[in-house]
Formats: sequence, structure tokens, C-alpha cells
Amino acid sequence: MCSEVQSAQDYMRDPRKHYFSPYMDNGGTTVAIAGEDFVMVASDTRLSRGFNILSREQGKVFNLTPKTMLASTGCWADVLTLNKVLQARLMMYSHEHHDTMSTTAVAQLLSTMLYWRRFFPYYVSNMLVGLDESGKGVVYHYDPVGHMEKLTFSAAGASVSLIQPFLDNQVGAFNMEGVDPPKMTKELARQLIHDSFVSAAERDINTGDGIIIYTITKDGTAEEKIKLRMD
Amino acid sequence: MSILAYNGGSVVAMKGKNCVAIATDLRFGVQAQTITTDFERVFEVGPHLYIGLPGLVTDTQTVLQRLKFRIKMYEMREGRKVKPRTLMAMVQNLLYERRFGPYFVEPVIAGLDPVTKDPYICALDLIGCPCEPADFVVSGTSSESLYGMCETTWREDLEPDDLFECIGQSLINAFDRDALSGWGAVVHVIEEDKVTTRHIKSRMD
Amino acid sequence: MALQALHGVDYHCKKANGLEDDENVYLGNMSNQCQLYMPPLSKAESQVGEFLVDECGRKIKLNFAHGTTTLGFKFNGGVVMAVDSRATSGQYIGSNNVKKVIEINPYLLGTMAGGAADCTYWERVLAKQCRLYELRNRERISVAAASKLLANMVYQYKGYGLSMGVMIAGWDKKGPGLYYVDNDGNRMPGNSFSVGSGSIYAYGVLDSGYRWDLSDTEAQELGRRAIYHATFRDAYSGGVVRVYHIKKDGWVKISEQDCKALHYKYAEETKTA
Repeated sequence: MCSEVQSAQDYMRDPRKHYFSPYMDNGGTTVAIAGEDFVMVASDTRLSRGFNILSREQGKVFNLTPKTMLASTGCWADVLTLNKVLQARLMMYSHEHHDTMSTTAVAQLLSTMLYWRRFFPYYVSNMLVGLDESGKGVVYHYDPVGHMEKLTFSAAGASVSLIQPFLDNQVGAFNMEGVDPPKMTKELARQLIHDSFVSAAERDINTGDGIIIYTITKDGTAEEKIKLRMD
Repeated sequence: MSILAYNGGSVVAMKGKNCVAIATDLRFGVQAQTITTDFERVFEVGPHLYIGLPGLVTDTQTVLQRLKFRIKMYEMREGRKVKPRTLMAMVQNLLYERRFGPYFVEPVIAGLDPVTKDPYICALDLIGCPCEPADFVVSGTSSESLYGMCETTWREDLEPDDLFECIGQSLINAFDRDALSGWGAVVHVIEEDKVTTRHIKSRMD
Repeated sequence: MALQALHGVDYHCKKANGLEDDENVYLGNMSNQCQLYMPPLSKAESQVGEFLVDECGRKIKLNFAHGTTTLGFKFNGGVVMAVDSRATSGQYIGSNNVKKVIEINPYLLGTMAGGAADCTYWERVLAKQCRLYELRNRERISVAAASKLLANMVYQYKGYGLSMGVMIAGWDKKGPGLYYVDNDGNRMPGNSFSVGSGSIYAYGVLDSGYRWDLSDTEAQELGRRAIYHATFRDAYSGGVVRVYHIKKDGWVKISEQDCKALHYKYAEETKTA
């Protein structure tokens, strides 16, 4: 018993100044736009570390269920871990209930999972996209500790401040007197996503190389790859 | 918080077809507190020549006054008006003189050359490194958002009215995502025969 | 036994055992919402937050919605609560449409200032606790008890860096109730509160226009105006102004108005007046 306490004290003693820096910013940008019966989500394919490029073909959108996808950027190690744990949860749910989880339920689950690590957070910007119970496209945007907001369009990651004002203007029709927001079609969404990534790649070194766009509809998920500038 | 963001404020300038435009927001604040909403940080310093001085407002005012002094001295000595590129060199000198204790302003210059009528835009950093691109320049607390907006909305050879629409939408949508800029905007569209100044109503929060 | 404890065999054996233990490592708050993951540090309490920098030493922005204006006051006709809707991370405006009034149940409202995730999470846990109380005791929980549940929950994590300044308001047996609760564990009843970076401006308007015998519409307009003026002066407040009114038979959402529309409406009124 005595040795137990002593060993614990030894172990808990303050370390000599070693920095504990568990985080890294691996860049990457994601954009999502929802429509009446579809949702489109895209990410760039660059994985970076400071001024170095780790990969030119790393997509950042993950399949969760046939109707739900997760787009995450930030610290890549945390992205992978979060995804692994979330996938395991979804698997347990599907075994237990013989059904896949609804998008709204996944959205709340993700929020709770992120808050679990409130004091040692996943350093990840998440967007969860999917079709809700009525088949309508939805986008959920998260902060690293699980504050969640339901939207119809959003950007996240490295170039969020470059892309979000553009989406506000073109998708949300902000600051246009007497103009209604456009009816969102797949063609328009694709065009806007393409334009926003081209601009972001022009000005942000953490975004570039390529885009992968996923379109979720009731019939399934379609994938498209587009090239971006690689410098 | 950066001292450059202490008072807030953003400026953007764009080239068009035989015209240039320069726009600014109107907020003068101290960190979170908005003091006035009629502070124009773009100033006319010559015929068809404007300079925007976003950054620390005390330095905006000092730099403007010292610059006006130098411009007047130049005009008296040379007996002619200052050209945009000359103004740029002047600002560059003024800022670099304070290389190790800089003025916290990042100027933007927009104008038409008085002889050739060529559009001219330029942005400088706080110690006077100039950048003269062919499309647009941005500066201030909303610069990232402005880059995103301008990069998508700007086209070559825009007519004055289209240029106004482009720069106005870019600025307003950019500063609506920035807490420290906004509260109204002013746009100057500079053409060979006239300068059009328009005030734009925007969100006031 | 001592040897086992020394080598931690027991601990490692258990850990490899099965899903229940995994669950406590990967998602402990699913089974007990008040339990959160602790970072592997010798002094978690004082060291939490120290490592929240990326490899370049840049601070990691976690607290969404630090700037805010919220207010609540009691008067003759119940409780009025009014809030803005802006969420900022640094100077970047993350959202202009956050719901900062959290509807705990038809008789209880909570507001949100500080870390958005902190407020939404703990008030969600509070909502569950309040429902359990109802089922166990066959009567609604009092505002005092609800606010105390929240204060006790966040008090467990005092010093860990939670950030919340909330008001809990409702109507119970004693009539209208209004409490202020924050992350230090403070909890106090009162007649009027305003919380957030814009609260200094809101208090100015609120205190100058406040009377106990305000009519319902006057009180709602007072709350609305106080928030509007705060959004105008405070860079970190804005978006839409939401007004709620709690009466004898529960809360009612009175209005949701965009600040831009409100500004030009009020500007027009002062011009004609």
C-alpha cells in the first residue's frame, strides 16, 4: 500500500519543463451546400504541415451512413480518431437497432462526442451533411468542442473566412435588396463550390491540389474530382 | 490582439476599364466598442488620386497630415500635381523612415495617371513594401474575407457601374463576417472625367 | 496486492476487457453526462488550457460565442428575456443566427453567454434533470431548484476553464423567477440581469426605461431596444434580436427581428420624432 502511494507520487511529480504540444494544423477546407432533395459537400485534397505538403490527394469527407457524410479538417490525427470512434458508435447502433442512424441523431451524437473531450479537445472543424427524415438536405456546422448549428450552406477549415462571405452573398443573397435567395440546384451548387475553391486555392497556401465533391441524394452518393492549382 | 486591429477598419481598391474604385467601411472603434460610424479612412490627395489608410487611427491621421505636407512641398517645388506612382514612392519613403518603430497603417492607393489616364492601384505594408497587382488590393481587418470575395467577383475590364457593384458587394459581404469593420461604407469610383462617391447602407451591428 | 498495484496490472487488465471500459475512455458522457474526459496531466485542474496551442504556438480558438448580449428582467407581467444571436471566434463572425435562448421546457428558459458549447451542453443536461424531477415528484421543478442543479453541475468543474454566464428564468409556484448562474459557481436571484460583452450598453437602456408596472408590450420593447443598442455599440454582438416573455402559463416567443431592419426602423422613428 505504501509503495503504491509512493510510486504514484513519483509518477505525478511535476516534469522538468517539457512542452506538451499534442496539436498540429494540417489545413484543408470544406464547403457544403444543401438543396431541397440533395446535399453537396466538398473538400480540397491538400494535407499540409506549415509550409510543407504532406499529401496532394487526401480527401477530407467521410462516409458515415448512406444518407450522412462528415467533412472534417484541422489536426489530422484528431480527424482520424474522431472518425474511428464515430464509426464504431454507428456500428454499435446499427447492430442494436437493425437500422442506420438518422442524420439528426448523428448530429447530436457528434456534438456529445466532441464535448466529451471538452478539456482535451479534438482540434477539428466538422461539418456533418446529409438528408433529414423528410429527405431534405441539411448541413450541421460544429466548433471543436461541440457547439452545433443547423444551416443550409457553410464553409469550414483553413479558408473559411475567404469562402463564407462569398456563400453568404451568392447562396444566402445577403446584402442584395429585393433579391430572393436562388433556388438551389445541383448545377448551381457545383458551380459555387468550384468557384469558392478556385479562389481559396489562389490565396491560401493550406488549400489546393484538388477538390472532391460528393452529392448525396435519395438514390445514393456521387463523387466527382476536379483539379486545383498545385503551387 | 494586433495593434493594427485596435480600431478596426478595412479598405479595398479595384481596377476597371479606364477607371478605378476604392472603398472603405465607416467604423471607428476601440477594440469591441464602436465610437463613431462616420469615419472615412479614404482621403482625396490629388486629382483622381485617393489613399486609404486602415490601421491604427492615430497613425492614419499622422501619416495623412505628413503626407499632405510632403505632397504640397512636392507640388510647390515641381509646379505639377503628384502622379499615383510618385505618391506611392512618397508613402514608401515616409513609412520606411520609421522602419524600426513603424506607423501602424497599411495604405492603399488608387488613382488615374494624370498623363496616360492609366488606372493605378497599390497596397503597401506598414513599413512601405509596395504591391501593384493588375486586379485588386485589400487591406485592414477584413482582408482575408476581402481576398475571398474579390477573387470570386472581380472580372477584367469592368465598366464603372459594374465596378461599383463589384467592389460594394465585395466589401460589404466581407466586413459582415468581421466584427471590427462595417457600420456603413463609402465607395469612390474614379473615371477620367469624374469621381462618383456613393454611401452604402449596410448592417449596423 | 502491493506488487499488483505497483505495476498497475489490475488497471491494464480491466482496460483490455470490453466495450464498457472502452466506452468510458471514448465516450464516458453517454452514460453519465456530468463526467468529462480529463487530459493525461499531473495537475489537470491548473494545466488544462496550457497545451491548447498548435505546433506553431498559435492559440487554438475553442470558445465560440464569447461576445454576446443577453438580458432578462422581472416585472409586473412576468419575465422578459431578450438576446442577440452573434457567435464570434476572435474577430471572425462564425454565425449571426445562434439561438441564445435555450428552451429547457415550456416553463423554463435559459440564456447563453460565454462558450456556446458549454452553455448548450450543460443546459441540455439540465433539461434532462428537470424532466426526471418532474417524473419522480409529479410536479414541475422550481426555478430556484433548476438553477441550483446547474450551478452544482458546473461547480464540479470550477477552475477547469468552463465559460458560461447564464440566466435561468421561469414561472413556478412562487410566481416569476430569475436566476443568474456562472462558471465560478455563482448563483443569485434578481430582478434584472444582463450578461455578455454588450451588457454594459444593455444595462444603460434597461435601467433607464425600467419600471415594475410596465405593460407587456412596453416591457418587450424595452428588452428589444436594450439589445439593439448593445448590438450597435458592441462589435461582438449582433444578428437578430429575439424576445421571449414568460407568463403564468409558460413562455411565449414574442419576436425575432434582424438588427439591420431594426436599426433603420429606429433611425426612421428618431428622424420623424
